[in-house]
Amino acid sequence: MKKCKQLGYRSFVTLILSFFALTISAQTVTVSGNITDDTGFEVIGATVIVEGDATRGTVTDIDGNYTLTDVPASGNLQISYVGMRTQVVPVNGRTTIDIVLATDTELLDEVVVVGYGTQKKVNVTGSVSAIDSKSLESRPVQNVSQALQGVIPGLNLTQSSGVGGTLDSQMSINIRGAGTIGSGSNSSPLILIDGVEGNINAINPADIESISVLKDAASSSIYGARAAFGVILVTTKSGKSGKPSISYQANIRFSDANQVPKMLDSYRFAQYFNEAAINSGQGAIFSEEALQNILDYQAYQNGTFTGELTDRNRDAVMYGTTAGSNNRWLLYGGANANTDWFAEMYRDWVPSQEHNMSVSGGSDKITYLISGNFLDQNGLIRHGKDNFNRYSINGKISAELADWVTLNYSSRWVREEYSRPSYMTGLFFHNIARRWPTNPVIDPNGHYHEGNEILQMRDGGVDKSEKDYLYQQLQFVFEPVKDWYIRAEGNYNTINRFNHWDVLPIYGYDTNNQPFAAPWQGGDAGKSNIYEGATKDNFASVNVYSDYTFSLADAHTFTVMGGTNIDLMKTRNLGGSKQDLITPLVPTLNTATNPTPSISGGYGHWANLGFFSRLNYNYKEKYLFEANVRRDGSSRFVGDKRWGTFPSFSVGWNMAHEDFFAPLADKISMFKLRASWGQLGNMNTSSWYPFFLSMPVSSSAGNWLVDGRKPNISSAPGIVSSLMTWETIQSWNLGLDWNSLNGRFTGAFDVFNRTTKDMIGPAPELSSILGTGVPRVNNADMESYGWELEVNWRDMIQDFSYGVKLVLSDDQQRITRYPNDTYSLSTWYNGRMNGEIWGYTTEGIAKSDAEMQAHLENNRPVWRSNWAAGDVMYKDLNGDGVVNNGANTLDDHGDMTIIGNSIPRYKFGVTLDAAWKGIDLRVFFQGVGKRDYMLGGPYFWGASGGMWQSTAFEEHWDFFRDEDNPLGANLDAYYPRPLFSGEGKNQYTQTRYLQNAAYLRLKNIQLGYTLPSSIVNKAGMQNVRFYISGDNLLTLSEITGVFDPELLGGDWGNGKLYPLSKVISVGLNINF
Amino acid sequence: MNTIYKHFLLIIGVLVLSLTSCEDFLDREPLDQVGPNQFLSSESDLASFPINYYSSLFSTHGGWSTGIGRLDDHTDNQATSNPNLGLYEPGNRLVPQNGDLGFGNIRAFNFFLQEVLPKRTDNALSGNTLMIDHYIGEVYMLRAMAYFDRLKTYGDFPIVTTVLPDQEEILVAAAERKPRNLVARQIISDLDSAILLMQNGVSNKTRLTKDAALLAKSRVALYEASFLNYHRGTPRVPGEAGWPGASMSYNSGFSINLDSEIDWFLDQAMDAAKQVADKIELTANSGVLNPPSRAEFAGWNPYFDMFSSRDMGKFDEILFWRQYDLSLSITHGVTIYIERGANTGLTKGFVDGFLMKNGLPIYAQGSEYKGDTFITDLKENRDERLQLFLFDEDDPVHIKSDSAIFTAPLIINLQEVRDVTGYRSRKFMNYDPSEAPGSDLTATAGSPIFRAAEAYLNYIEASYMKKGTIDAVADRYWRALRTRAGVDADYNKTITATDMSIEALGDWGAYSGGTLVDPTLYNIRRERRNEYLSEGIRYDDLIRWRAMDQVKNYIIEGFNLWDEAYKNSIYTDPKPGEVTSAGLVDDGSSDANVSSRDLSKYLRPYQILNSSTNTIFNGYNWSEANYLAPIPFRQMQLASPDGTADNSNLYQNPYWPAQPNAKAER
Repeated sequence: MKKCKQLGYRSFVTLILSFFALTISAQTVTVSGNITDDTGFEVIGATVIVEGDATRGTVTDIDGNYTLTDVPASGNLQISYVGMRTQVVPVNGRTTIDIVLATDTELLDEVVVVGYGTQKKVNVTGSVSAIDSKSLESRPVQNVSQALQGVIPGLNLTQSSGVGGTLDSQMSINIRGAGTIGSGSNSSPLILIDGVEGNINAINPADIESISVLKDAASSSIYGARAAFGVILVTTKSGKSGKPSISYQANIRFSDANQVPKMLDSYRFAQYFNEAAINSGQGAIFSEEALQNILDYQAYQNGTFTGELTDRNRDAVMYGTTAGSNNRWLLYGGANANTDWFAEMYRDWVPSQEHNMSVSGGSDKITYLISGNFLDQNGLIRHGKDNFNRYSINGKISAELADWVTLNYSSRWVREEYSRPSYMTGLFFHNIARRWPTNPVIDPNGHYHEGNEILQMRDGGVDKSEKDYLYQQLQFVFEPVKDWYIRAEGNYNTINRFNHWDVLPIYGYDTNNQPFAAPWQGGDAGKSNIYEGATKDNFASVNVYSDYTFSLADAHTFTVMGGTNIDLMKTRNLGGSKQDLITPLVPTLNTATNPTPSISGGYGHWANLGFFSRLNYNYKEKYLFEANVRRDGSSRFVGDKRWGTFPSFSVGWNMAHEDFFAPLADKISMFKLRASWGQLGNMNTSSWYPFFLSMPVSSSAGNWLVDGRKPNISSAPGIVSSLMTWETIQSWNLGLDWNSLNGRFTGAFDVFNRTTKDMIGPAPELSSILGTGVPRVNNADMESYGWELEVNWRDMIQDFSYGVKLVLSDDQQRITRYPNDTYSLSTWYNGRMNGEIWGYTTEGIAKSDAEMQAHLENNRPVWRSNWAAGDVMYKDLNGDGVVNNGANTLDDHGDMTIIGNSIPRYKFGVTLDAAWKGIDLRVFFQGVGKRDYMLGGPYFWGASGGMWQSTAFEEHWDFFRDEDNPLGANLDAYYPRPLFSGEGKNQYTQTRYLQNAAYLRLKNIQLGYTLPSSIVNKAGMQNVRFYISGDNLLTLSEITGVFDPELLGGDWGNGKLYPLSKVISVGLNINF
Repeated sequence: MNTIYKHFLLIIGVLVLSLTSCEDFLDREPLDQVGPNQFLSSESDLASFPINYYSSLFSTHGGWSTGIGRLDDHTDNQATSNPNLGLYEPGNRLVPQNGDLGFGNIRAFNFFLQEVLPKRTDNALSGNTLMIDHYIGEVYMLRAMAYFDRLKTYGDFPIVTTVLPDQEEILVAAAERKPRNLVARQIISDLDSAILLMQNGVSNKTRLTKDAALLAKSRVALYEASFLNYHRGTPRVPGEAGWPGASMSYNSGFSINLDSEIDWFLDQAMDAAKQVADKIELTANSGVLNPPSRAEFAGWNPYFDMFSSRDMGKFDEILFWRQYDLSLSITHGVTIYIERGANTGLTKGFVDGFLMKNGLPIYAQGSEYKGDTFITDLKENRDERLQLFLFDEDDPVHIKSDSAIFTAPLIINLQEVRDVTGYRSRKFMNYDPSEAPGSDLTATAGSPIFRAAEAYLNYIEASYMKKGTIDAVADRYWRALRTRAGVDADYNKTITATDMSIEALGDWGAYSGGTLVDPTLYNIRRERRNEYLSEGIRYDDLIRWRAMDQVKNYIIEGFNLWDEAYKNSIYTDPKPGEVTSAGLVDDGSSDANVSSRDLSKYLRPYQILNSSTNTIFNGYNWSEANYLAPIPFRQMQLASPDGTADNSNLYQNPYWPAQPNAKAER
């Protein structure tokens, strides 16, 4: 009865209040109050708004007070502040509302993924950087690594030097700089996707939940011999219990070549080539008549041709070419068109698209996530087509089978398809610049002119590859006792690659409009060829490990972990090629008729076995300690070289938890000093069987025909060293993490030193009487040292929130032991810095022969002769009157000095973001603060080598011309006089032409708008965002205009590669 | 819960068990490779080895050029646009800092013999024993050829016949340079082994043959005999004054009797050459000098065909050749470059040296020489080798169409297709229209490497050096060569009419050591020069004869341009695109494309540009140091017990400083 009464009373009050509320629902009140945090301090600048209406809001003043008018008496106030948990308080007609905001413990409870587990960020003692999925969102990138560049300090991503921006190119990745000199071993980081080795580029960026980078030995040593140079841990998204959540993302993008050279117009080109030929003692290449033809053609194109068209000049004037004696249209010196071959070969603003969809949800016991991705990326190639497609389906399911055991299963399938013209190799990029602007694109009969690459690209066959990645993971997690976990997981990855490549015959047309078979690449006119190849990788990995966490006296917390890891990789491959297709329409092995196919097939394998354990200890999260040890055995080493043991230790001290820190405790919640030391081995030898002496044998591969056939060939094997063993990597790291102003200002700073001991170096230099390469041995040491800084600022001014993130890192490498007793400069020596550039000092370009003669008196180079006006004046630095490199040793380096360093320094990324009323803006700059580079070859020099290897771009027109030069004097030219011979006498590595390759690049800028939820909710959606995003839109660099500062290499020489793209994209994200 | 623990125990137990076998798990040898022990054990294994090294040891056609037709560039026979300044501009060539001594192939052959010879002794090789021996013989011959190349380059040279380990002390010790005559004896010993083991006619002579080994033996022996003979008294010959090897302690026991050593090599040369020459007849010359019609592109003259046939095995005279095949993409560009000009040309000195058909030199009384106003003139009544292998204005340049006549040399063409001297060689031309339908690398004419005519020549020269007279055998050989060339066989007639002072103008071979040789020896050398037009033996001959001491301001000349030839419409009214410069410019300026008519009526390819930048304007100048190549400085250091070049076992060659990037002393 009593109970009933009480209920009645309450119901009554509620009823009354409800009634009251209804009656005043249209009323507004003015609310004021004071906001403090849970330690009693006033919160300044907290945002107070009427929930659901961001236009009505205010901020607390210096005493934490606020006043807000026109508040609906029945509404809610929403109070938010950085680092505090947002609160929503019903007004209920009150006019004074004081609020205590609680610290957002999520920030302090933030965990990061570490080796075989997770750790609270505040307790991490190694050097670990992590990002979440936000950094990857809405970037129109093709793969994950493109989005990671400049985001994590110490994680260096650079364009691979060989191929440039081709759709299948993958950036090269290292952590904290080069770890080896790359002769016989490599220092790539270990990339684990959900704990299993995988390809970071073959994963849909939208599936990624977070990425952790383990940089020092202490954090990576748990992975042993594969993790000597750091680990990248990719964690994919999992399902969350709750009602199904569906999301869809679409993106349309337009790509354009970021940086391609511009050729000189044909008239200036011809004059440039004449100049180079004459300077080299050869006759002019273009006669007066040829030059006139060039002008006539240009005039005709502009409609200003006033001459007479005759049989003799008609083709030249109208079409830019002339019939040659063998019924072929002439090119080069016999042609006079005006083509910029770079503009001809690339398309502008090529469209591509990407779509993502995911569904997730679940109950208390079972959660699931399914996601899919489709990318259709088109390349820039105009003639022919290059295209990249990716399809992926990812599924994850987690089921709690009992209180003490959970089953996780995930499967991820990714298909990549890439196709390009078979001709689109380094040779193509080499050749574009070798086609003279005088060559016409179209012959007078309207056909594409033979000999300009267009036919090969269009009709000469395609190279297609299809890769299927299937990753499967089955995991049991047992928890027999609270906080004792045992995890047993099996992983099986299979990667299938099929490659198809064909060469199809191409046809030019002669002057009688008759087709003729044209050479594809040399003496293969009319030939067809087909190659099919397949490889399969099977990678099995088993991890069994267990950890147990317990506390003593509520102060000492221990976690112990131990386990084992077994990896087995098996590969196989098959390939075959056959010539003479029945028809180019059916390019298959079955339809090729040549009786002698070329076939190959083989197998490979390696295995690794490791045992590891870890101990974590902390005292009240104030003093932290961690120790790891791992023992690894590798199939790549034999005998007593096989096994290695690798320990590491790290300590941390979170000063913010000390009593003496109390006065600052409200400002700084974490101030943690870290120190670590560890030792690791590197099993990543280039060869899987460095101990095996193999007989080089190839079938039907000889180029000396025997009985009309290619014979089998074999040759003498080199020498292998059975002494090869582990490289030992030792590193120490000092760090500081802080979290202050309630999470507004956070950051980390690390200093490191990493030594690679007993590195596999280029073999010791021995007399060439040996007759073969000297085997590499573990005979060198190097160190990499540097620092990293990450600073975050995040704040909110009313409903305008913004953030700044800066990452900055630097690393340098120095050789500390190397078997080079003479300190020869042609190889490494003890003390040599990685990337060191030795070169001559340039006095300038001689403006007259007299100036050159006077200069030569005391500064005569030992190479070449014929020094004249317009040549480079090299400086004699050691006063011996001649310019040379002495004995080319460190002691006697003649007039060479270290003039620069090609290693990128001060790599940085700056992210600025802001959001206001549903509008968001993100700007991301990335760059390199310091870098020198010496470029060579025709892209840099123009005339370089003989006539057929030279080219001429706009930049090259700035070459030396004396006062008498009919083209006009250019005494202050950048480039010396062009030469076709002279073995590059002006092109030695020197100060004048050393490039400053530092750059600042606007990597990404994006502007988004999220529709108000009031609108989207009506449509049954949770969230709708539109955005426009641009990549690589702006670059600041002092480097010569021919080059992209990120693309200085090239398989066939500097600059001869596929350009990077700038991309503009528009996209839509919807969540249901 | 108990059951759970049991499961854990089970898992741990499985792990412990698996660890006991972990060494097996980690033992992983390659799955698709074989080691040397498993290979080189059958006839076909052995066959695959030497064939892989052929192309690195024998120069053959390939790529965008006239192939072996370019090997005589930079001699008194032949010239290309850019002179070899290293050879002919004193001070230009420097001691290289780095470089390789060239032991790569030698090591490979040592490896093969070391692996295979014990198996041969043990009868552990499967297959036809004759062929097994043949392939072993091939490797002996290849090792000899590799060493011969080193002998020619450096002279004294380390002899290594085992596979050396990568240990510094052993390598330094092995780097002791053996006196050159001992190197030559080692080569001859290898060739004797090859001759013993090899067969003839294997694979249609696209593989090495016993006869080729015999010819190689006569070549090496003659080379060494003549080098020792003509370089006598210079530091290049072991035991002579100033020989740098004398100061090496490892040579303390060395002595040499130069006369008997030379005789020994001459005997070897004569014996080997005679075995080949007695056995093999020369290919006949039909006397037909041009294709009679467009349909008969081959077969009109076997002697001409021998240099360009796709199947050279059918010619007895060819002892060894290389085959090409378009469908296998093993091709070259020789034919198209002969058609179009190849940035090379024969010199006036060479062309003038050919005899008249009547056996007289052109300057001799009653020679019937018609002058050189046109090339057709100078070819009249000349040695048929000149008539066959030098293009004149009326010769067909190809027979794909009727009108394709040579017309005039393309002296102002683009450099890569220029007739540098105006005299274009026709040797290696194959008139088959399918050889070069366009401008591609489609030519598949064979590439001759050894032919028996050299054995004839080697015998004549060696026997004359030994005996000072033409013996009956040499007489027979010489007459055979002259008869085939369509020249009066009576060589004495020529010798009598020879004026050495005139011959000296255009033939460096008129000299040895700066003095003129006797007319008989000179005519033996002339025979060699003319028979081997553009076949790449000239430079070696000049070196062994020491025929360049007198080369001072030697001007290379080409054809007679300024009497009549310059009037040809090809120069005055060029077709657009065909010739890039409009007309001849001979003012010596940077626009000039031919040499000035005031200098000479003959085209002088290195006097076109008259400026200080043209360092070869005044002609070729030989540096005595160039008879042997400088040892790379770094290799001297690496072959030294204490790392210094001064104490190196690998001493520097005469007149080359033991310093990097240093110029020759003389």
